Amino acid sequence: MGEVILTMKGIDKSFPGVRALDKVDLEVRKGEVLALMGENGAGKSTLMKVLTGIYSKDAGTITYEGREVTYHNPREAQADGIVIVHQELNMMGHLTVAQNIFIGREFKKGPFIDDKKMNEEAEKLFKQLNIDIDPKATMSELTVGMQQMCEIAKAISHEAKVIIFDEPSAALTEAEIERLFEIIRSLKKQQMGIVYISHRMDEIKRITDRVSVMRDGAYVGTLITEECTKDDIINMMVGRVIYEDPKTESQVPEDAPVVLKVDHLNAGRMVRDVSFELRKGEILGFAGLMGAGRTETLRAVFGADPKESGEIFLNGKKIEIKRPQDAVKAGIGYLSEDRKRYGVVLQKTITENSTLACLEEYVKGIFIDGRKERKVTKKYVDLLKTKTPGIDQLVMNLSGGNQQKVVVAKWLVNNCDILIFDEPTRGIDVGAKQEIYELMNKLVKEEGKSIIMISSEMTEILRMSDRVVVMCEGKKTGELDIAEVTQEKIMNLATMRD
Amino acid sequence: MEKIKNNKVVKAIGFNRIILIGVIILLYLIFAVLTPVLHSGADFVTYDRFMSALNYAYFIGFMALGVTFVIATGGIDFSVGPVMFASALISGFCLMKYNIPLPVCLIISLLIGLAFGTLNGYFVAYRFLPSFITSMASMQIAKGIGSVFTKTQSVTWPGTGNANSWYRYLVKWNNIPTGLIILIAVAVICAIVLNKTKAGRYMLCIGSNKEAVRLSGVNTKKWEMLAYMICGLMVGIAAIFYVGAYTTVQPGLGDTFNNEAIAACVMGGTSMAGGLASILGSIIGALIVALMQEGILAMGFTISYQYVLTGIIVLVAVTADIMSRKRKS
Repeated sequence: MGEVILTMKGIDKSFPGVRALDKVDLEVRKGEVLALMGENGAGKSTLMKVLTGIYSKDAGTITYEGREVTYHNPREAQADGIVIVHQELNMMGHLTVAQNIFIGREFKKGPFIDDKKMNEEAEKLFKQLNIDIDPKATMSELTVGMQQMCEIAKAISHEAKVIIFDEPSAALTEAEIERLFEIIRSLKKQQMGIVYISHRMDEIKRITDRVSVMRDGAYVGTLITEECTKDDIINMMVGRVIYEDPKTESQVPEDAPVVLKVDHLNAGRMVRDVSFELRKGEILGFAGLMGAGRTETLRAVFGADPKESGEIFLNGKKIEIKRPQDAVKAGIGYLSEDRKRYGVVLQKTITENSTLACLEEYVKGIFIDGRKERKVTKKYVDLLKTKTPGIDQLVMNLSGGNQQKVVVAKWLVNNCDILIFDEPTRGIDVGAKQEIYELMNKLVKEEGKSIIMISSEMTEILRMSDRVVVMCEGKKTGELDIAEVTQEKIMNLATMRD
Repeated sequence: MEKIKNNKVVKAIGFNRIILIGVIILLYLIFAVLTPVLHSGADFVTYDRFMSALNYAYFIGFMALGVTFVIATGGIDFSVGPVMFASALISGFCLMKYNIPLPVCLIISLLIGLAFGTLNGYFVAYRFLPSFITSMASMQIAKGIGSVFTKTQSVTWPGTGNANSWYRYLVKWNNIPTGLIILIAVAVICAIVLNKTKAGRYMLCIGSNKEAVRLSGVNTKKWEMLAYMICGLMVGIAAIFYVGAYTTVQPGLGDTFNNEAIAACVMGGTSMAGGLASILGSIIGALIVALMQEGILAMGFTISYQYVLTGIIVLVAVTADIMSRKRKS
């Protein structure tokens, strides 16, 4: 076992209202690959951001090569040899490979950039990694996999001693992943310390030596990869106590009709052959890890993004949804996870937002019927208990929870029977969360609505859903009735690749 | 201060509109005092000067009304000046060279404006081009077409007393500024469209958050394009009032009016970021622009000073708008 190169001990980090990291420990050793695992929001990224100086820590120590360090920005960390290979590639497509690798620290000959020298240096890096990429090629011509290799080359060019891979395989093909692993193995041989963040169990088993698990901002424990099973890891990831009582059985009557049926939907890389059914009065949960394609699936259903193929049936009748207009007309409402961008018009009033989806019903002659419009707005402000001084208040002055209610009101005013809630409580404080949950329950029980709820919060899924669809990498990997759901089952399906 | 701002009348008109009215009065007084000093023998406080300023206010006013709709959707139209000239040139050429009846020529003017508005709107809304680029291109097209059509000759519409000169009554009739009445009437219609109809509501919402409006099931493309079409139509009207006031149009010009129309809008409180627009503000802004150019000429300066001032006004007004938005958020 290699010598310890980096130790993080008792790291604390809070954001307003959230304890993002709670006394987290981590140990990276030379010549070893350490997997860092955990659910969405477990704190993996935050921990790495603290390490590389993007965030400052509230408490705890970082010891690197035997001395205590604190970095104030990624540049300082980089200069010391700690680099991150990001999930999203930070590359300039129109520049060459070499220019990208040496961006910000170009070799110069007098006042001019020395492209020749940069190409030579890049060549050397690629040789070291044993990969064949032309340094003079334009970045945008390369495949995503090759671009990723360039990122790694860039990382090594900083004379890295610790390299952090943040979900590096998310965009790679099988063959490219093979190449990546070869590179990681050779880096390992060069005595580098490697942190590998990924959700893919099979990869973890193949490439890593130890697995450190985080949950809800806290460090859970570390396992030796060889000695543990997939289930051991999953148990550590999800082993939290669910405080709010989860639903134990479906609240939907046996004979409830299917209101929405999606058949073999395809839309880009993130939606591959997805089929599901939604029944009247049901809350259908969509679980999965970040990037599983849940939002993409429902956006395609709603017509917000184009579909390649697949059929949609509403109450048993086939319908064409090409644009959001078609969906809205069919009585489907979509509540985005990013309310401010896709949900509300911030600079307009509650009234104006409430009638946005069906303004034509609030027009008398050529004029907007202000009285009718205000009346219906008032009705839904009361019904949803939206907290506001008045219906002429600009939406930007409302809290997140109340903005969400305005979006709900918009779809209720339009008489939508199917509501798609995408992360309904993201960015909403605890008290308001409760209200949103009650509201959703009320909508299905009293108003006869049917709800699709995308959620990355396990507690939310367990508490609200009657049935759970699990997705992984654009595919539906399973469907569970709430009576048979466990966190472990969901996590198993959410990390299942075929 | 807060008390004044919360007064009912002040709220209805808008605080910054009241400031602008103050600016008009102040400018008028400044010009009245300075004109005799700087330009001996000249006098600013005359009926002729007043009517001359209004002549300028009409066409700038109509263009500003149109541009207000475009800016409300979050776009910009840099083609209004040259399009106005193209309308005036081509319809005037039809009148003078082809003897097409005057009412038809006036309609041609409106249609040319509308055509350019439709062109801009199509490329912006349906082809996703930036409005800045689209209108720059159509500005060039408008300049070129006007010149090609008239073989780079200027066109002079019939003067008062000649046959076919009744169109000038639209601007002035028996010393009554009919143009002002029409401008106000059209402005009222514009204000109603923008604030009381579905079209206006959608345009303003598109200017604030187009994607949210699209995801609410609204055909955003249609309404965005309509804003440019309204703008084009207003430019066609502006052309009639331009020739009604000055009769002669030269090819290859008109771009200086773009900035003046846009300046009128932003001064009046229409936000370049979209979503916020004031028709009344645009009209007052147009009056200020017109008063300034009249005052600058009266004081014996060249019109170039007007360009400098317009540029400064745009910078100041947009900066103020951005700063007030920052403070709010």
